[in-house]
Amino acid sequence: MSRAVRAVGPGLLAFVVYIVFSGSVNTYNIVTGVVVAAVVGFLTANITVSNPGKLGEVGRLGWLIAYAIRYFFIDEVRAHVDVMRRIVHPRMPINPGIVRVPYAVSSDYAMTTIANSITNTPGTVVVDVDTERKVFYVHWIDVKGVEPEVTRGISRVFEFFASRIFD
Amino acid sequence: MGRWQKVVITASMVAFVALLALALSAGGLGFTLPAGRVRDVARWYLFTTFNPDLELFSAMAPEGVTSIVWDYRGLDTLFETAVFFLAIIGSVAIMRDIKTGGGSKPKGSTGLSPIVKTVTRITVGIILAVAASIALHGHLTPGGGFQGGATAAVAPLLILVIFSRYYIERLGVSKNAMLAIRSLGLVGIAVTAFIVLAVTSLQGGVAYVFQNQPKPYAPAGMPYEVGGSLTGGTLLLFNIFEMFAVSAGFTIIFLLLAIPESEVLGVLRGGEDGH
Repeated sequence: MSRAVRAVGPGLLAFVVYIVFSGSVNTYNIVTGVVVAAVVGFLTANITVSNPGKLGEVGRLGWLIAYAIRYFFIDEVRAHVDVMRRIVHPRMPINPGIVRVPYAVSSDYAMTTIANSITNTPGTVVVDVDTERKVFYVHWIDVKGVEPEVTRGISRVFEFFASRIFD
Repeated sequence: MGRWQKVVITASMVAFVALLALALSAGGLGFTLPAGRVRDVARWYLFTTFNPDLELFSAMAPEGVTSIVWDYRGLDTLFETAVFFLAIIGSVAIMRDIKTGGGSKPKGSTGLSPIVKTVTRITVGIILAVAASIALHGHLTPGGGFQGGATAAVAPLLILVIFSRYYIERLGVSKNAMLAIRSLGLVGIAVTAFIVLAVTSLQGGVAYVFQNQPKPYAPAGMPYEVGGSLTGGTLLLFNIFEMFAVSAGFTIIFLLLAIPESEVLGVLRGGEDGH
């Protein structure tokens, strides 16, 4: 029973991916999509979900939508503009290095969201993670400082949203 | 490698491509590609693949390649599937004494970083959904059972590499389980090949092996649509069973390849007087 409950989230994801990849909404796709979603959801339930109750909390969904808008339209744009400026600048002002960025979230999904958000914005890449000490090792195009107060600036926004979506 | 060697190699590669392009544009393979004679065969397939006005000669599925693979030349594909099956049985036979499961899990964490693991937990389901879509739409759009099965096999491969082979065995993806799925897929293909013949024979009629749609003098066939949705008759069943057979077959190979060489050699040497 608990596996069936856990299968809801992965099953919904599989259904949406199936319909989008198939490219049309018709009877055939909906019928086969439901069957595929049930099978895939059941198969992946135990490796994907440990706390299915979180799926039903609407507040988390609201934070997710807010984060998607904020991330793609503000943080991404800002990072792109910054890196573009460095590329076209005649003196190419870069000061690269690898810094420690501490994080304070507890779930794997929140940690991964922060890491992927850092990597996906130009100029910063997570090269490793230490879950014992709770730090990311981040390659930064313009190292402004190695102190945790400074490096946390990279992930502050991401961590704020990730902890509210997943923790 | 010296600088002049690099220059000579680069120049000869550029010259080769340029000469090939020149030869082709000068008509080295004929001026119309493909040649007109080939076109007649292709035209016939396109004309009959899905043609409601010519149902007795049509495969009644809009995807030409799948129609050719599983209807026009279904027997050919059956033997191809059998060859692939024998190749896998051969590798299982070679590795017969070597345990894929068991063994003690190494201490500490295994596999890639927790970031990669967490992403993989989500993408595995996405990969399986895409694979199912490729297989279930094989009679409508490019794709089919083999393509879908090969895509689905990426999911266990990712788990195998990113987590560990101990983890994947614990999930129930073992060599014997995959052999069972693979055999069921092949039985399904065999049943589908005979289903029209078997049902028609029981009713006292005549039909062909590998029959899909009604043919002259063999009027039985699988319905090519259900409730207004095209199903391609036997093509859909072939694609589903082929997907299971192929994905399980590839997974067996991945499981066997993940066994460390030291364990393989230890068994193959067979102890002190094993040879």
